[in-house]
Amino acid sequence: MATDNQQGAFETNRDAEIKRGPLETWVGKVIKNPKRAYRSMFYVATVFFLVTTLFPFYWLLVLALTPNNLISNMGLLPKGFNPGVFVTMFERVPFHLYMFNSFVLGLTTTVIVLLLASLAGYVFGRLRFPGRTFLMLAILAISYFPPAAFFLPLFQLFTGGTNLVLGPITVSSPDLFNTPAPMVLPFSALFMPLSIFILTTFYGQIPDGLEDAARVEGTTRLGALFRVIIPLSAPGVATAGVLTFISVYNEFFFSFLMNNGEASSWAPIVAGILKYQGQFDTPYNLMAAASIVGVLPVAILVIVAQERIVSGLTAGALKE
Amino acid sequence: MGEVNLEDVTKRYEDVTAVDKMNLEIRDGEFVCLVGPSGCGKSTTMEMIAGLTIPTEGTIYIGGHEVTNLPPKDRGVAMVFQNIALFPHMDVYDNISFGLRLRKYDKEEIDRRVERASDIVQLEGMLDRMPDEMSGGQRQRVAIARAIVRNPEVFLMDEPLANLDAKLRVHMRTELQRLHKELDTTIIYVTHDQAEAMTMSDRIAVIDSGQLQQIDPPLVCYNEPANLFVAGFIGSPAMNFVDGELTENGFRNEKVEVDFDPADVGATAGDDVTLGIRPEDVYTLNDAGSLANPTKEIEAVTDVLEPMGDEIFVYLLLSEDATVDLDEESRGGMTDQLLMSVDPDSDISEEQDVNVVLDRTKVHLFDTETGKAISHGLTATAPSGADGSTAAESDD
Repeated sequence: MATDNQQGAFETNRDAEIKRGPLETWVGKVIKNPKRAYRSMFYVATVFFLVTTLFPFYWLLVLALTPNNLISNMGLLPKGFNPGVFVTMFERVPFHLYMFNSFVLGLTTTVIVLLLASLAGYVFGRLRFPGRTFLMLAILAISYFPPAAFFLPLFQLFTGGTNLVLGPITVSSPDLFNTPAPMVLPFSALFMPLSIFILTTFYGQIPDGLEDAARVEGTTRLGALFRVIIPLSAPGVATAGVLTFISVYNEFFFSFLMNNGEASSWAPIVAGILKYQGQFDTPYNLMAAASIVGVLPVAILVIVAQERIVSGLTAGALKE
Repeated sequence: MGEVNLEDVTKRYEDVTAVDKMNLEIRDGEFVCLVGPSGCGKSTTMEMIAGLTIPTEGTIYIGGHEVTNLPPKDRGVAMVFQNIALFPHMDVYDNISFGLRLRKYDKEEIDRRVERASDIVQLEGMLDRMPDEMSGGQRQRVAIARAIVRNPEVFLMDEPLANLDAKLRVHMRTELQRLHKELDTTIIYVTHDQAEAMTMSDRIAVIDSGQLQQIDPPLVCYNEPANLFVAGFIGSPAMNFVDGELTENGFRNEKVEVDFDPADVGATAGDDVTLGIRPEDVYTLNDAGSLANPTKEIEAVTDVLEPMGDEIFVYLLLSEDATVDLDEESRGGMTDQLLMSVDPDSDISEEQDVNVVLDRTKVHLFDTETGKAISHGLTATAPSGADGSTAAESDD
């Protein structure tokens, strides 16, 4: 009994001796409750991503609103307020035409990709055939090739530099420079694998019974794909479409090199922004304004399609 | 018009033969059930008739035309699926009219037909509902309406009632029979539920291991099963099987003796045979008075009683150390137990010694090795030298 009391007294004394600072207190709590650590890590990561992604946009806005002659030694706030820049930018360069070009390139690519990836997705998702896994892996591997590796041969091909000799006849490849084709074709090839993967998962989840029912009712396999499988996979198709469109819209390499940078030559916004660069001045404010305007459509698209994309990337499961 | 013929149809997958040389002749306007255990090839057979699966070998005719390699849409068949398979993104009207719209019927014709089809299956006023707003039974009726709206030559139904609850299933069963009378179209119906097959069909096609075992009217399958498999599959609870040997005096094993002249059933003494008897054809001595020709008494002990209300199923053990074999698959091997059905008022309890007799006219004999039926029912009167003479000998 006596020893027990002594023991108790000893422990209380020792507890009192340890003095903890705020960090040690926090660590102590975290050890007891690890969820606190995860939560703080989440906040740290979130803040980090928000700053790194949103700060450039804020900085663009700061630059755009500051008159060009004052742009030097910039702080965190704009020096002056010049909203007129958003009008001037259209006067100096036909930026709306560049945006139109970007839209046309993006939409054309999206249509081509969705069409072909749907066929591929149907085959990979719903049919069993020897070599299926190998082909999927091959597509995956190709999607990891650096686009620059394709550039030189493709440039040769699309600018008429490739000759095909058929006996006495020599056929030159058509000169497609300054048309949408040398951009749309590589884009379609480069962004197709992602869409194939998304659509394969979706089409694979549609119950066989529905396709069988459609076929007995009078469609072909293709008809069943377009009338039943694709409508039921709408979230997946939307996801693949939006991702493809955004990828094309953001693409730099082929967009920059496959035309001469004029709006009439189907140059997209990349070329438009660079077009502000004059021989004697560099209007940073106009470029910043153009960048903001150029980003807006994609931002709006993402916000509008967000629900679809999220449900497309996560769920996608259908009941019957 | 709607007759369906399969000639030597075989479907092989990489390592299994799902359907093996199936020959099937289904007449116009007939209601045929394909029954069999899971994986027996009945669904594959139906898919080949529908055109969803192309047979490896053989020929399929529908309405006299060869359709073996035609796509489903050109075969003039309609199908109702086990998982119902309504298009979830279309309302009832669009679901029913799907096939008609694909075939470019004009609007009024579609309206007229959809209305008639929905009348037949009693779906009035639900045409603008979406499938997920309907109950299971309603959805199944939509699926049936979608099938009948095109006036197909042949209806294929792949376990259409399997996903419904028991009460609804019985209801839909009568609905389907009514529908068959009304439409007078060939119906091929796949099920593993032999109650459905017994009650609805004109003929039952029993399939096992990809092979047709028997195709006959339900009562013929019940009373004269072609082999051990059909005997065990048709009827619930299943037929009792007792293994034994054929002697010159009839069937013999340690517990069960049935006297008859092997020559009467076209068999020779010395063969291994399996005796089959349905539970309702086993009688206790008390009830046996009505039997014109009972077999010899069999000594048994009651094991478990299963009162069903209108009858009691009694599990009988033929020897003291026997245990009840619960494995249903082991057909033809149960020498130690018998299932008997008795009147609910019978005075019978568990672990009671009871002597039973079999109705000679309902005894089935099968060749144990091949499973083929040897005879159904023994001669009504015991042949001389058998039961009767035994009695005479004892008189002497």
